[in-house]
Amino acid sequence: MEKGLGVASRRDAVAAEIPRLRRYARALLGDDGEADDLIQDTLERALARLEQWRDGDNPRKWLFSILHNLHVDGLRRKSRRPPHVGLDNVGVEHSAPAADGASGRDLDQALQLLSGEQRRVVLLVGLEGLGYAETAEVLSIPVGTVMSRLARGRDRLRGLMDYDGDKNGRATLRRVK
Amino acid sequence: MTAPRRIGEAELHALVDGELTGEERAELEALLPGAPAEQALVRELRDLNQAMRTRYAGRLEEPVPGPMLDVLRHIPRRRSAAALRRWSIAAALLVAVAAGLAGYAVRGVVTGTPRTESSFVLNAIGAHSVYVPEVRHPVEVKADEEHLVRWLTRRVGAPIRAPSLVDRGWKLMGGRLLPDLGLPAAQFMYEDAAGRRLTLYIRKETGLNNTSFQFAERDGLGSFYWIDRPLAYALAGRLSRDELMRLADAVYAQLEQR
Repeated sequence: MEKGLGVASRRDAVAAEIPRLRRYARALLGDDGEADDLIQDTLERALARLEQWRDGDNPRKWLFSILHNLHVDGLRRKSRRPPHVGLDNVGVEHSAPAADGASGRDLDQALQLLSGEQRRVVLLVGLEGLGYAETAEVLSIPVGTVMSRLARGRDRLRGLMDYDGDKNGRATLRRVK
Repeated sequence: MTAPRRIGEAELHALVDGELTGEERAELEALLPGAPAEQALVRELRDLNQAMRTRYAGRLEEPVPGPMLDVLRHIPRRRSAAALRRWSIAAALLVAVAAGLAGYAVRGVVTGTPRTESSFVLNAIGAHSVYVPEVRHPVEVKADEEHLVRWLTRRVGAPIRAPSLVDRGWKLMGGRLLPDLGLPAAQFMYEDAAGRRLTLYIRKETGLNNTSFQFAERDGLGSFYWIDRPLAYALAGRLSRDELMRLADAVYAQLEQR
Protein backbone atom coordinates (compact mmCIF):
# COMPACT_ATOMS: atom_id res chain seq x y z
CA MET A 1 0.00 0.00 0.00
CA GLU A 2 2.65 2.48 1.01
CA LYS A 3 5.57 2.09 -1.25
CA GLY A 4 8.92 3.73 -1.16
CA LEU A 5 9.87 6.89 0.62
CA GLY A 6 7.94 10.06 0.43
CA VAL A 7 4.45 8.81 1.22
CA ALA A 8 4.60 10.43 4.63
CA SER A 9 5.88 13.70 3.21
CA ARG A 10 3.24 13.60 0.50
CA ARG A 11 0.60 13.18 3.14
CA ASP A 12 2.07 16.11 5.01
CA ALA A 13 1.99 18.19 1.85
CA VAL A 14 -1.66 17.28 1.37
CA ALA A 15 -2.43 18.09 5.00
CA ALA A 16 -0.83 21.49 4.60
CA GLU A 17 -3.32 22.33 1.84
CA ILE A 18 -6.44 21.51 3.85
CA PRO A 19 -7.09 25.04 5.13
CA ARG A 20 -7.00 26.46 1.62
CA LEU A 21 -9.16 23.68 0.24
CA ARG A 22 -11.67 24.35 2.99
CA ARG A 23 -11.64 28.06 2.28
CA TYR A 24 -12.32 27.50 -1.39
CA ALA A 25 -15.01 24.88 -0.80
CA ARG A 26 -16.75 27.09 1.70
CA ALA A 27 -16.80 30.04 -0.67
CA LEU A 28 -17.84 27.83 -3.57
CA LEU A 29 -20.71 26.04 -1.82
CA GLY A 30 -21.84 28.70 0.63
CA ASP A 31 -22.37 26.06 3.32
CA ASP A 32 -19.98 24.85 6.02
CA GLY A 33 -21.24 21.28 6.25
CA GLU A 34 -21.37 20.66 2.53
CA ALA A 35 -17.95 22.20 2.12
CA ASP A 36 -16.40 19.94 4.72
CA ASP A 37 -18.08 16.87 3.24
CA LEU A 38 -16.54 17.77 -0.09
CA ILE A 39 -13.12 18.18 1.50
CA GLN A 40 -13.44 14.87 3.30
CA ASP A 41 -14.21 13.17 -0.01
CA THR A 42 -11.41 15.08 -1.73
CA LEU A 43 -8.89 13.91 0.84
CA GLU A 44 -10.05 10.32 0.57
CA ARG A 45 -9.71 10.38 -3.19
CA ALA A 46 -6.36 12.13 -3.00
CA LEU A 47 -5.03 9.53 -0.58
CA ALA A 48 -6.23 6.70 -2.77
CA ARG A 49 -4.36 8.28 -5.69
CA LEU A 50 -1.30 9.56 -3.95
CA GLU A 51 0.92 7.78 -6.44
CA GLN A 52 -0.66 9.74 -9.31
CA TRP A 53 0.76 12.92 -7.92
CA ARG A 54 4.04 13.34 -9.73
CA ASP A 55 6.99 14.62 -7.80
CA GLY A 56 7.57 18.27 -8.36
CA ASP A 57 3.93 18.91 -9.18
CA ASN A 58 2.14 21.55 -7.24
CA PRO A 59 -0.02 19.68 -4.67
CA ARG A 60 -2.42 22.59 -4.54
CA LYS A 61 -3.31 22.39 -8.21
CA TRP A 62 -3.65 18.62 -8.03
CA LEU A 63 -5.93 18.79 -4.99
CA PHE A 64 -8.06 21.54 -6.45
CA SER A 65 -8.53 19.38 -9.55
CA ILE A 66 -9.70 16.45 -7.46
CA LEU A 67 -12.04 18.71 -5.53
CA HIS A 68 -13.42 20.17 -8.73
CA ASN A 69 -14.06 16.78 -10.31
CA LEU A 70 -15.80 15.49 -7.19
CA HIS A 71 -17.92 18.60 -7.03
CA VAL A 72 -18.95 18.28 -10.66
CA ASP A 73 -19.70 14.57 -10.19
CA GLY A 74 -21.81 15.45 -7.20
CA LEU A 75 -23.72 18.06 -9.16
CA ARG A 76 -24.37 15.57 -11.92
CA ARG A 77 -25.71 13.04 -9.46
CA LYS A 78 -28.11 15.26 -7.62
CA SER A 79 -29.95 18.03 -9.28
CA ARG A 80 -28.49 21.30 -8.24
CA ARG A 81 -30.03 22.57 -5.06
CA PRO A 82 -31.37 26.11 -5.18
CA PRO A 83 -29.07 28.84 -3.92
CA HIS A 84 -29.43 30.00 -0.34
CA VAL A 85 -30.54 33.47 -1.18
CA GLY A 86 -32.80 34.66 -3.89
CA LEU A 87 -32.56 37.97 -5.62
CA ASP A 88 -35.32 39.24 -3.37
CA ASN A 89 -33.08 38.96 -0.37
CA VAL A 90 -30.20 40.66 -2.05
CA GLY A 91 -32.45 43.54 -2.91
CA VAL A 92 -32.76 44.34 0.76
CA GLU A 93 -30.71 47.34 1.65
CA HIS A 94 -27.55 46.48 3.51
CA SER A 95 -25.76 49.64 2.65
CA ALA A 96 -24.51 50.20 6.19
CA PRO A 97 -22.08 47.43 7.02
CA ALA A 98 -21.77 46.51 10.68
CA ALA A 99 -18.47 47.07 12.41
CA ASP A 100 -17.64 43.38 12.30
CA GLY A 101 -17.57 43.42 8.56
CA ALA A 102 -21.11 42.47 7.62
CA SER A 103 -20.12 43.32 4.08
CA GLY A 104 -18.39 39.91 4.08
CA ARG A 105 -21.69 38.18 4.55
CA ASP A 106 -23.12 40.11 1.69
CA LEU A 107 -20.23 39.15 -0.52
CA ASP A 108 -20.88 35.53 0.37
CA GLN A 109 -24.49 35.88 -0.72
CA ALA A 110 -23.54 37.67 -3.90
CA LEU A 111 -21.06 34.94 -4.83
CA GLN A 112 -23.76 32.32 -4.53
CA LEU A 113 -25.74 34.18 -7.16
CA LEU A 114 -23.06 33.71 -9.79
CA SER A 115 -23.23 30.68 -12.04
CA GLY A 116 -21.07 27.83 -10.78
CA GLU A 117 -18.77 28.25 -13.78
CA GLN A 118 -18.16 31.89 -13.02
CA ARG A 119 -17.89 31.39 -9.28
CA ARG A 120 -15.16 28.76 -9.65
CA VAL A 121 -13.00 31.00 -11.78
CA VAL A 122 -13.56 34.12 -9.71
CA LEU A 123 -12.63 32.21 -6.54
CA LEU A 124 -9.69 30.23 -7.89
CA VAL A 125 -8.07 33.33 -9.34
CA GLY A 126 -9.21 36.03 -6.96
CA LEU A 127 -9.38 34.19 -3.65
CA GLU A 128 -6.87 31.40 -4.11
CA GLY A 129 -4.46 33.29 -6.29
CA LEU A 130 -4.11 30.61 -8.94
CA GLY A 131 -2.77 31.76 -12.29
CA TYR A 132 -4.96 31.63 -15.38
CA ALA A 133 -3.10 28.61 -16.74
CA GLU A 134 -3.36 26.76 -13.43
CA THR A 135 -7.05 27.56 -13.18
CA ALA A 136 -7.55 26.29 -16.72
CA GLU A 137 -5.86 23.02 -15.78
CA VAL A 138 -7.83 22.59 -12.58
CA LEU A 139 -11.12 23.12 -14.36
CA SER A 140 -10.09 21.40 -17.61
CA ILE A 141 -11.05 24.38 -19.74
CA PRO A 142 -9.04 26.58 -22.13
CA VAL A 143 -7.24 29.63 -20.73
CA GLY A 144 -9.40 31.89 -22.92
CA THR A 145 -12.49 30.49 -21.24
CA VAL A 146 -10.98 31.20 -17.85
CA MET A 147 -10.46 34.81 -18.86
CA SER A 148 -13.93 35.33 -20.27
CA ARG A 149 -15.65 33.68 -17.31
CA LEU A 150 -13.50 35.72 -14.96
CA ALA A 151 -14.49 38.99 -16.63
CA ARG A 152 -18.16 38.08 -16.75
CA GLY A 153 -18.18 36.76 -13.21
CA ARG A 154 -16.50 39.82 -11.78
CA ASP A 155 -18.83 42.07 -13.73
CA ARG A 156 -21.79 40.27 -12.30
CA LEU A 157 -20.34 40.39 -8.81
CA ARG A 158 -19.68 44.10 -9.09
CA GLY A 159 -23.22 44.55 -10.28
CA LEU A 160 -24.46 42.74 -7.19
CA MET A 161 -22.25 44.79 -4.93
CA ASP A 162 -21.71 48.48 -5.08
CA TYR A 163 -18.02 48.91 -5.27
CA ASP A 164 -17.46 52.47 -4.33
CA GLY A 165 -16.74 50.89 -0.96
CA ASP A 166 -16.88 52.39 2.47
CA LYS A 167 -14.16 54.45 4.08
CA ASN A 168 -12.01 51.39 4.65
CA GLY A 169 -12.22 50.46 1.03
CA ARG A 170 -14.47 47.62 2.03
CA ALA A 171 -17.18 46.51 -0.28
CA THR A 172 -20.73 47.30 0.64
CA LEU A 173 -23.83 45.83 -0.86
CA ARG A 174 -26.48 48.16 -2.07
CA ARG A 175 -29.83 47.73 -3.61
CA VAL A 176 -29.70 45.95 -6.91
CA LYS A 177 -31.42 47.97 -9.55
CA MET B 1 6.06 58.15 -22.53
CA THR B 2 4.12 55.65 -24.53
CA ALA B 3 1.60 57.02 -26.97
CA PRO B 4 -1.96 56.79 -25.64
CA ARG B 5 -3.81 53.67 -26.72
CA ARG B 6 -6.98 51.95 -25.84
CA ILE B 7 -6.66 49.71 -22.78
CA GLY B 8 -8.52 46.40 -22.99
CA GLU B 9 -10.48 45.24 -19.97
CA ALA B 10 -8.77 41.84 -20.08
CA GLU B 11 -5.46 43.62 -19.56
CA LEU B 12 -6.76 45.18 -16.38
CA HIS B 13 -7.83 41.81 -15.00
CA ALA B 14 -4.45 40.41 -15.99
CA LEU B 15 -2.71 43.24 -14.18
CA VAL B 16 -4.65 42.64 -10.99
CA ASP B 17 -4.12 38.89 -11.23
CA GLY B 18 -0.38 39.15 -11.72
CA GLU B 19 -0.54 37.69 -15.21
CA LEU B 20 1.49 40.38 -16.96
CA THR B 21 5.19 40.32 -17.61
CA GLY B 22 7.21 43.05 -15.96
CA GLU B 23 7.34 44.94 -19.22
CA GLU B 24 3.61 44.73 -19.91
CA ARG B 25 2.89 45.73 -16.38
CA ALA B 26 5.14 48.76 -16.50
CA GLU B 27 3.58 49.87 -19.76
CA LEU B 28 0.05 49.54 -18.45
CA GLU B 29 0.82 51.25 -15.17
CA ALA B 30 2.26 54.19 -17.08
CA LEU B 31 -1.00 54.51 -19.00
CA LEU B 32 -3.33 54.29 -16.04
CA PRO B 33 -2.91 57.78 -14.59
CA GLY B 34 -4.32 59.12 -17.84
CA ALA B 35 -7.26 56.71 -17.76
CA PRO B 36 -9.34 57.31 -14.63
CA ALA B 37 -12.10 54.85 -15.50
CA GLU B 38 -9.60 52.03 -16.05
CA GLN B 39 -7.74 53.00 -12.93
CA ALA B 40 -10.97 52.85 -10.94
CA LEU B 41 -11.71 49.41 -12.32
CA VAL B 42 -8.30 48.17 -11.27
CA ARG B 43 -8.94 49.43 -7.78
CA GLU B 44 -12.37 47.80 -7.70
CA LEU B 45 -10.98 44.47 -8.82
CA ARG B 46 -8.26 44.61 -6.17
CA ASP B 47 -10.85 45.51 -3.54
CA LEU B 48 -12.98 42.64 -4.68
CA ASN B 49 -10.16 40.14 -4.27
CA GLN B 50 -9.26 41.60 -0.91
CA ALA B 51 -12.88 41.46 0.22
CA MET B 52 -13.02 37.75 -0.65
CA ARG B 53 -9.81 37.03 1.22
CA THR B 54 -11.09 38.92 4.23
CA ARG B 55 -14.47 37.23 4.11
CA TYR B 56 -13.05 33.71 4.08
CA ALA B 57 -9.91 34.25 6.13
CA GLY B 58 -11.46 32.39 9.05
CA ARG B 59 -11.09 29.09 7.30
CA LEU B 60 -7.33 29.51 7.07
CA GLU B 61 -6.99 30.22 10.76
CA GLU B 62 -9.24 27.67 12.37
CA PRO B 63 -7.78 24.26 13.19
CA VAL B 64 -8.36 21.47 10.69
CA PRO B 65 -11.10 19.10 11.90
CA GLY B 66 -9.77 15.83 13.30
CA PRO B 67 -11.64 13.58 10.86
CA MET B 68 -9.88 15.29 7.94
CA LEU B 69 -6.48 14.59 9.41
CA ASP B 70 -7.57 11.06 10.23
CA VAL B 71 -8.36 10.44 6.58
CA LEU B 72 -4.72 11.06 5.79
CA ARG B 73 -3.60 8.22 8.04
CA HIS B 74 -5.47 5.49 6.39
CA ILE B 75 -6.68 4.66 2.94
CA PRO B 76 -10.36 3.85 3.19
CA ARG B 77 -12.16 1.69 0.74
CA ARG B 78 -15.65 1.64 -0.66
CA ARG B 79 -16.88 4.44 1.53
CA SER B 80 -17.56 8.09 1.11
CA ALA B 81 -17.61 10.75 3.77
CA ALA B 82 -21.25 11.37 3.09
CA ALA B 83 -22.07 7.70 3.65
CA LEU B 84 -20.04 7.80 6.83
CA ARG B 85 -22.05 10.75 8.05
CA ARG B 86 -25.33 9.01 7.33
CA TRP B 87 -24.13 5.94 9.17
CA SER B 88 -22.93 8.06 12.08
CA ILE B 89 -26.40 9.47 12.56
CA ALA B 90 -27.87 5.98 12.76
CA ALA B 91 -25.07 4.92 15.10
CA ALA B 92 -25.67 7.98 17.25
CA LEU B 93 -29.29 6.98 17.71
CA LEU B 94 -28.28 3.44 18.66
CA VAL B 95 -25.70 4.70 21.11
CA ALA B 96 -28.22 7.05 22.68
CA VAL B 97 -30.69 4.20 23.19
CA ALA B 98 -28.05 1.79 24.45
CA ALA B 99 -26.65 4.40 26.81
CA GLY B 100 -30.09 5.18 28.12
CA LEU B 101 -30.74 1.52 28.86
CA ALA B 102 -27.39 1.03 30.48
CA GLY B 103 -28.09 4.05 32.63
CA TYR B 104 -24.90 5.89 32.16
CA ALA B 105 -24.08 9.06 30.39
CA VAL B 106 -22.19 8.77 27.16
CA ARG B 107 -19.53 11.39 27.25
CA GLY B 108 -17.63 10.55 24.14
CA VAL B 109 -15.83 13.33 22.44
CA VAL B 110 -14.97 13.08 18.80
CA THR B 111 -12.68 15.81 17.68
CA GLY B 112 -13.64 18.09 14.86
CA THR B 113 -17.04 17.95 13.22
CA PRO B 114 -19.72 16.29 15.30
CA ARG B 115 -19.52 12.64 14.53
CA THR B 116 -20.73 10.25 17.16
CA GLU B 117 -18.75 7.14 17.84
CA SER B 118 -20.52 3.85 17.47
CA SER B 119 -21.50 1.73 20.42
CA PHE B 120 -18.61 -0.41 19.37
CA VAL B 121 -15.89 2.00 20.38
CA LEU B 122 -17.64 2.78 23.65
CA ASN B 123 -17.68 -0.94 24.43
CA ALA B 124 -14.01 -1.13 23.53
CA ILE B 125 -13.14 1.78 25.79
CA GLY B 126 -15.31 0.31 28.55
CA ALA B 127 -13.61 -3.06 28.28
CA HIS B 128 -10.24 -1.35 28.39
CA SER B 129 -11.15 0.47 31.61
CA VAL B 130 -12.44 -2.70 33.23
CA TYR B 131 -9.56 -5.04 32.51
CA VAL B 132 -6.47 -2.88 32.26
CA PRO B 133 -6.27 -2.18 36.01
CA GLU B 134 -6.35 -5.93 36.77
CA VAL B 135 -3.17 -7.03 38.46
CA ARG B 136 -3.75 -10.77 38.73
CA HIS B 137 -6.11 -11.47 35.85
CA PRO B 138 -5.59 -8.89 33.14
CA VAL B 139 -6.09 -11.54 30.48
CA GLU B 140 -8.09 -14.72 30.30
CA VAL B 141 -5.64 -16.63 28.13
CA LYS B 142 -1.97 -15.76 28.09
CA ALA B 143 -0.12 -14.97 24.89
CA ASP B 144 2.14 -18.03 25.19
CA GLU B 145 -0.80 -20.38 24.90
CA GLU B 146 -0.90 -21.13 21.22
CA HIS B 147 -4.64 -21.70 21.10
CA LEU B 148 -5.37 -18.04 22.05
CA VAL B 149 -5.87 -16.76 18.54
CA ARG B 150 -7.49 -19.94 17.27
CA TRP B 151 -9.95 -19.90 20.13
CA LEU B 152 -10.91 -16.25 19.62
CA THR B 153 -11.21 -16.76 15.87
CA ARG B 154 -13.61 -19.60 16.43
CA ARG B 155 -15.70 -17.75 18.99
CA VAL B 156 -15.84 -14.38 17.21
CA GLY B 157 -16.55 -16.08 13.92
CA ALA B 158 -13.96 -14.42 11.68
CA PRO B 159 -10.20 -14.83 11.28
CA ILE B 160 -8.59 -12.84 14.06
CA ARG B 161 -4.90 -12.09 14.38
CA ALA B 162 -2.94 -10.62 17.24
CA PRO B 163 -0.55 -8.09 15.67
CA SER B 164 2.95 -8.00 17.08
CA LEU B 165 3.99 -4.63 18.47
CA VAL B 166 7.25 -5.86 19.97
CA ASP B 167 9.36 -3.67 17.73
CA ARG B 168 7.44 -0.70 19.09
CA GLY B 169 8.07 -1.75 22.67
CA TRP B 170 4.72 -3.37 23.36
CA LYS B 171 4.52 -7.02 24.39
CA LEU B 172 1.37 -9.06 23.87
CA MET B 173 0.12 -10.26 27.26
CA GLY B 174 -2.80 -12.32 26.04
CA GLY B 175 -6.47 -11.94 25.36
CA ARG B 176 -10.00 -12.58 26.45
CA LEU B 177 -13.47 -13.17 25.15
CA LEU B 178 -16.09 -10.53 25.94
CA PRO B 179 -19.76 -9.93 25.29
CA ASP B 180 -20.52 -7.00 22.99
CA LEU B 181 -24.26 -6.35 22.91
CA GLY B 182 -24.75 -10.06 23.32
CA LEU B 183 -22.24 -11.11 20.68
CA PRO B 184 -18.70 -12.38 21.21
CA ALA B 185 -15.84 -9.90 20.97
CA ALA B 186 -12.13 -10.34 21.53
CA GLN B 187 -9.68 -8.19 23.43
CA PHE B 188 -5.91 -8.42 23.17
CA MET B 189 -3.85 -6.66 25.80
CA TYR B 190 -0.33 -5.29 25.38
CA GLU B 191 2.09 -3.87 27.92
CA ASP B 192 5.20 -1.74 27.50
CA ALA B 193 8.34 -1.60 29.65
CA ALA B 194 6.84 1.22 31.70
CA GLY B 195 3.83 -0.91 32.57
CA ARG B 196 1.41 1.04 30.38
CA ARG B 197 -1.27 -1.06 28.77
CA LEU B 198 -2.93 -1.01 25.39
CA THR B 199 -5.90 -3.03 24.20
CA LEU B 200 -7.05 -4.07 20.77
CA TYR B 201 -10.75 -4.81 20.72
CA ILE B 202 -12.16 -6.80 17.82
CA ARG B 203 -15.71 -7.64 16.92
CA LYS B 204 -17.34 -9.16 13.89
CA GLU B 205 -18.91 -6.48 11.72
CA THR B 206 -20.59 -7.29 8.47
CA GLY B 207 -23.48 -4.86 8.52
CA LEU B 208 -21.55 -1.62 8.26
CA ASN B 209 -19.22 -0.43 5.56
CA ASN B 210 -15.50 -0.05 5.95
CA THR B 211 -14.32 3.15 7.52
CA SER B 212 -11.12 5.09 7.76
CA PHE B 213 -9.56 5.70 11.16
CA GLN B 214 -11.74 7.55 13.58
CA PHE B 215 -10.86 8.81 16.99
CA ALA B 216 -12.93 8.81 20.16
CA GLU B 217 -12.01 9.79 23.66
CA ARG B 218 -13.63 9.31 27.03
CA ASP B 219 -12.14 10.62 30.24
CA GLY B 220 -8.69 10.82 28.77
CA LEU B 221 -8.82 7.32 27.37
CA GLY B 222 -8.49 7.49 23.61
CA SER B 223 -9.27 5.00 20.90
CA PHE B 224 -8.70 4.81 17.20
CA TYR B 225 -11.25 2.57 15.59
CA TRP B 226 -12.05 1.40 12.12
CA ILE B 227 -14.03 -1.20 10.26
CA ASP B 228 -12.33 -3.56 7.86
CA ARG B 229 -14.98 -6.10 7.13
CA PRO B 230 -15.67 -8.67 8.39
CA LEU B 231 -14.15 -7.18 11.54
CA ALA B 232 -14.26 -3.93 13.46
CA TYR B 233 -11.21 -2.85 15.45
CA ALA B 234 -10.60 -0.39 18.26
CA LEU B 235 -7.16 0.28 19.68
CA ALA B 236 -7.46 1.93 23.08
CA GLY B 237 -4.95 3.30 25.54
CA ARG B 238 -4.19 6.19 27.82
CA LEU B 239 -1.60 7.55 25.40
CA SER B 240 -1.21 10.74 23.47
CA ARG B 241 -3.29 10.85 20.35
CA ASP B 242 -0.15 10.85 18.21
CA GLU B 243 1.35 7.84 19.91
CA LEU B 244 -1.90 5.95 19.67
CA MET B 245 -2.18 6.90 16.01
CA ARG B 246 1.25 5.50 15.25
CA LEU B 247 0.38 2.25 16.96
CA ALA B 248 -2.94 2.07 15.12
CA ASP B 249 -1.04 2.57 11.87
CA ALA B 250 1.26 -0.30 12.78
CA VAL B 251 -1.65 -2.57 13.69
CA TYR B 252 -3.48 -1.72 10.52
CA ALA B 253 -0.40 -2.29 8.37
CA GLN B 254 0.09 -5.77 9.85
CA LEU B 255 -3.52 -6.73 9.45
CA GLU B 256 -3.39 -5.63 5.81
CA GLN B 257 -0.58 -8.07 5.09
CA ARG B 258 -2.76 -11.10 5.28
